[in-house]
Amino acid sequence: MSTGATIALLGQPNSGKSTLFNALTGLRQHVGNWPGKTVEKKEGSFSYGGKEYRVADLPGSYSLSANSDEEVITRDFIASGEADVVCILADSSQLQRSLFMLADYAGINVPCFLLLNMADVAEDQGKKIDAKAIEEKLGIPVVPFSATDIKSYDSFYKTLEKALSKNSKINVSDLATQYESIKGYQDICELIPENAIEGYSPMWLAVKVLEKDEVVIAKLKNTLDAYTFSRIEEAAVNTSGAVATGGCKFRWIDELLGETASAKDNTVKLSGLDRIYINKFWGKAAVILTVLLGLIASFIPALPLMGVGEAVLALKAPVMNGLSSIGCPEFIILIIGDVIIQSFSYIFKMLGFVFGVTLVFGLLEEVGVMARISYVFDNTMGKLGLQGKSVMPFLVSFGCTMGGAAGARVIDNWGQKVLTIALAWAVPCGAAWATIPMLAAIFFGPGAVGVIVAILLTMLVHMWITAKVFGGQLVKKEDRYGMIMELPPYHKPKWGALFRYVLGRTKETFVRVTKVILLVCGIFWLLSYSPSGNGGILYSIGVAIEPVTKFFGLPWQLFLSYIASAVGKEGAVGVISALYSGGSYGTAFTQAMSGGADTSNLSSLLLANVTKPEALAFIFAMTFNMPCVVALAATFQETHSAKWTARIVIYYTVVSLILAFIAYHIGMLIW
Amino acid sequence: MSLSEVKENREALVSEVKGDTRFMSRITSIGLTPGCRIRVVKNDKNRPMLVYSRDTMIALNRKECKGITVEEVTA
Ligand SMILES: Nc1nc2c(ncn2[C@@H]2O[C@H](COP(=O)(O)OP(=O)(O)OP(=O)(O)O)[C@@H](O)[C@H]2O)c(=O)[nH]1
Ligand SMILES: [Mg+2]
Repeated sequence: MSTGATIALLGQPNSGKSTLFNALTGLRQHVGNWPGKTVEKKEGSFSYGGKEYRVADLPGSYSLSANSDEEVITRDFIASGEADVVCILADSSQLQRSLFMLADYAGINVPCFLLLNMADVAEDQGKKIDAKAIEEKLGIPVVPFSATDIKSYDSFYKTLEKALSKNSKINVSDLATQYESIKGYQDICELIPENAIEGYSPMWLAVKVLEKDEVVIAKLKNTLDAYTFSRIEEAAVNTSGAVATGGCKFRWIDELLGETASAKDNTVKLSGLDRIYINKFWGKAAVILTVLLGLIASFIPALPLMGVGEAVLALKAPVMNGLSSIGCPEFIILIIGDVIIQSFSYIFKMLGFVFGVTLVFGLLEEVGVMARISYVFDNTMGKLGLQGKSVMPFLVSFGCTMGGAAGARVIDNWGQKVLTIALAWAVPCGAAWATIPMLAAIFFGPGAVGVIVAILLTMLVHMWITAKVFGGQLVKKEDRYGMIMELPPYHKPKWGALFRYVLGRTKETFVRVTKVILLVCGIFWLLSYSPSGNGGILYSIGVAIEPVTKFFGLPWQLFLSYIASAVGKEGAVGVISALYSGGSYGTAFTQAMSGGADTSNLSSLLLANVTKPEALAFIFAMTFNMPCVVALAATFQETHSAKWTARIVIYYTVVSLILAFIAYHIGMLIW
Repeated sequence: MSLSEVKENREALVSEVKGDTRFMSRITSIGLTPGCRIRVVKNDKNRPMLVYSRDTMIALNRKECKGITVEEVTA
């Protein structure tokens, strides 16, 4: 197959670039109905007409300015000549605004064509767009398109070939006339020679100089002689910057759209949903309720996979019996049964949850609820140094911290992303919520409600303090930008694409998680294994350091389950019950991870051996400990920083022990 | 007057936009330029403002709004 062109997908946020990319390449970029999902360039390929094309999905940005690294990377990628053709996407339902990218692109010398995406949405809104007229004025191919409609892709391929064969470039003469009205523009433009910077026209560069684009100015300084550059600087003094050039761009767009521009009519109807979510009284409550219902609903699609987990577990006894009947060594049987089968049972149950949560939250995203959630929480999150978007990872973390950490990917500022993940760790996950009420009920009866309230309050204080502790380093004052974001119109969900995406995500998680869990469970099992069934390295260590752990209110059995809870909160209770019943706790640990532990006589065992203050200390220590190894892996993956991941782990370990200490001593005062 | 003083459901014309380079470029590229007509959809304390302009619903942080001066359009 011969190599075809490389295509770059360019457009404002939420214009449908990743939807198009996924459909072309079969890959699975994050798609959803709110601006700013794609944060890194991603490449893929597809073949058409016997040629292999490469295509790059670029992060959406409102313009090609130098305000963020992504924008600079995007425009350099395009102008460097790596892309042979640029596919510019605009959202037909918000055409005027979303054509700004086209106006900002005009003047870059790479051939391009224009996709008027979301034609279906515009049609539903009764907007009529005359693509032919726009094409004539622009001088590049223009097509109405729907990235979600597979049948319409023929027009994409045809237009692509047309743009390539014609080498089509935007006719910029009208735009240049607009710019000429700006003071200083003409002087600067004349001072910049053709090809001063490869790929950009003098018009484009002059406009960027007026916009005080530091990257362009620095490059010009390097390439031009000092005299010319100083004259450019002179001409740029006291000019009116992005406001003037932006005005020109929009006037050009208005002319381009002519009669088709429908923006004259500025009336808006808030949809019923928006009247609820955006309401100042019940907006927050409605959002929280939606998310809680979402979390509950996510158990329904989770059930089948959880069932698979149970089925895997049911295999354990027959497999182990079978192996021992054929004379397999005890050690191997235990590894297969207690480590491998148990781990897979646990993995499948967790995957069920990941599947459910991704599906439900993916749906909320696709429809457009996510954007409203960010809006409602922007102020609250701002107080923590975060953006409205950060609230989503927090909410997801009530189910699964790993999901929360992965969800933080959408936060475009690295420092805010790390801080969001660090705070999300303080949110007790689903497994912790399964454990807390049970333990609390055993020890405190109806007082369990009080414990749960105390946990929630501690969580809020914890997050607030953690934001102060890490915030200063992670989020600089000048990076704390407030929200400037579009609220996209609601979309009907596209079930096929959604399921494909969710299944893909689940598969990726499966591969990643399996490695981590097998490794960690294996190590833990080895450490607690001893041929006699009692002892093992963990036991020796536990007993040896008991004088220290007692200080935090944790006898060695509770301390070991606290350690186990760092691997997975599911394990904590099982380990306790095994340790106090004096059984082989190496086995108990892995059993407990998959919920197979025998906890029937747990309450009498615990009440006989553990005091109330100790129980309280343990509940706090376990809840606010590192969430689990999978969350740890996800945190490293999203932050790309071993240093920060390690800091967060150490911080949480220390804080959870301090909380245990405080809880223990308060408990001593009460009881 | 400042954009944040405009009442809900009123329309206004943007007359001036001020701020640092980053802010100017962000606010321009989302469509709020001098001369552009906007409608204030929501103006609740402790929430970003919601304005509608160029077919787009835009959420704007209140602090950022300070740099936007408008003239109210009397209907
Ligand atoms: N109805 C309809 N929806 C579309 C169309 N194209 C994309 N969408 C939806 O629009 C939303 C945004 O699409 P994305 O592909 O995520 O947009 P993007 O340009 O990659 O956005 P960022 O990565 O945030 O810059 C998603 O909910 C898509 O399902 C279309 O032609 N018609
Ligand atoms: Mg994208």
